[in-house]
Amino acid sequence: MKTRARTLVLALVALVALSGIASAAANAAVWKFNGTELTTTETAVGAAISSKLTIPGATTECEHFLYNMKIKNSSGSGKGEITELPLYECHTGSEICTVKSIAAEKLPWPTHLTTVSGKDYIVIEDVDVNIDYSGELCSLGRVKVSGSAGGVINNEEETATFNKTTLEATGTSLKVGSSSVEWTGVFPTEPFEKHREERLEG
Amino acid sequence: MQARARWLKLGVALGALMALLCLPAGAFAHEGVWAKFNYCPSTTKGVWKCLHSETVGGEIVLGNKKSKITTPVILQGGYEEENELGESKMVAATNGETLTKVPQAVEGGLLGIVPPESSPPLVKLLSKYFFENGLTGVNATLELAKPASEIVINEFELLVGEGVALKLPVKVHLENPFLGKSCYVGSNSNPIIWNLTTGTTNPKSPNTPITGKPGFPEIKENYTLAEILDNELVENNWSAPAASGCGGILSFLVDPLLDSMAGLPSSEGHSSAVLKNTIASATVAAVNKH
Repeated sequence: MKTRARTLVLALVALVALSGIASAAANAAVWKFNGTELTTTETAVGAAISSKLTIPGATTECEHFLYNMKIKNSSGSGKGEITELPLYECHTGSEICTVKSIAAEKLPWPTHLTTVSGKDYIVIEDVDVNIDYSGELCSLGRVKVSGSAGGVINNEEETATFNKTTLEATGTSLKVGSSSVEWTGVFPTEPFEKHREERLEG
Repeated sequence: MQARARWLKLGVALGALMALLCLPAGAFAHEGVWAKFNYCPSTTKGVWKCLHSETVGGEIVLGNKKSKITTPVILQGGYEEENELGESKMVAATNGETLTKVPQAVEGGLLGIVPPESSPPLVKLLSKYFFENGLTGVNATLELAKPASEIVINEFELLVGEGVALKLPVKVHLENPFLGKSCYVGSNSNPIIWNLTTGTTNPKSPNTPITGKPGFPEIKENYTLAEILDNELVENNWSAPAASGCGGILSFLVDPLLDSMAGLPSSEGHSSAVLKNTIASATVAAVNKH
């Protein structure tokens, strides 16, 4: 009787341990090229198809939102850092305010891959964007957007999409003051060094 | 024909007179959401933006006396374009009330007897009746101790939650029949300086760090009006001088007595200020259009 109970306890402990490993595996995502895991480092570049930041009552959109990201796999998960993020031709949703300058600060920003509910996401941390608005009637001055943002990876289209849903799914948020900032953006991801022309997958 | 012209002239003169009588000097009758900027020096050269900050709550601990802000206090006026450090100098409100003088009751009054929070409501009520009445009750009114130009605003730091968002030189006017009309902690020559932040303070002991809130910015009126709700400015590393001018001709006796009761003068790390605000700002050009 005692032996049976001990066996049952051991079986339960083993089950719990196994389920832990399984869930950890489900949360790990790695960078791959044509289905093969990246073993070195690679540079991914891209330009946003569209990208818009919205603080309550004001929208800022950039026509050209480029990025340069170093990626690698480390300890079984995809890591990286955004090293450059030039932003061009930015404007607000009203002619009252113009964007005098906009710049990504405190680069590089660390990134990592994660899996949530079976979908792969890239999470950008330590985001820090300074925007300086101008305009005689414009109430906006210098503004800092900071926080972290998670975007869903589409391996078929080789894109990362950031929006309210993907930020919520990854438990990330961008803020101006205490207000949440909505960020919508679709970023093609394209390898630029050894794996050029190969399909990049998260 | 001549009579008609005379009537017309009289009508114009009367109209002008009525207009002059209706508006106080330097004030503009802006409408709707813009009315809060009526005392902004929006036509003064060098003024960039108008500010209206309403402190709707919070508390001030001065030595060992506490005063909760129960009646709103308004900081209003204009401010100049920021310098290379992001700091803007304030410009006085046109009605002379850059910081409105609103008395707030000091908890426990002159005797400083405050029942514990857990006391029954009746005990609290009786304590208030006996110790915060017209005779033993004390009101504290915050007043500016320097010209408005010595108030410094940093609107970038305000939203970032780092550094000093508002530098405010103040003095506290204590009012009670025994204290007379000129009882102050802080003066124009020796003001209390608050370096208020929406971030985290780094005070000297025994105070411990406290954290403010940048608040929720909202852009309204087609990008022309900025409002920040639920903003909280904090500072708990300021020092306060001894009281002065209390008790009229007996101030040489009353000042030390008050100091010993209130724990004054208090060095850095013994007092605190928490101001809960609703802030509105707009450029003078936007204000002048309304």
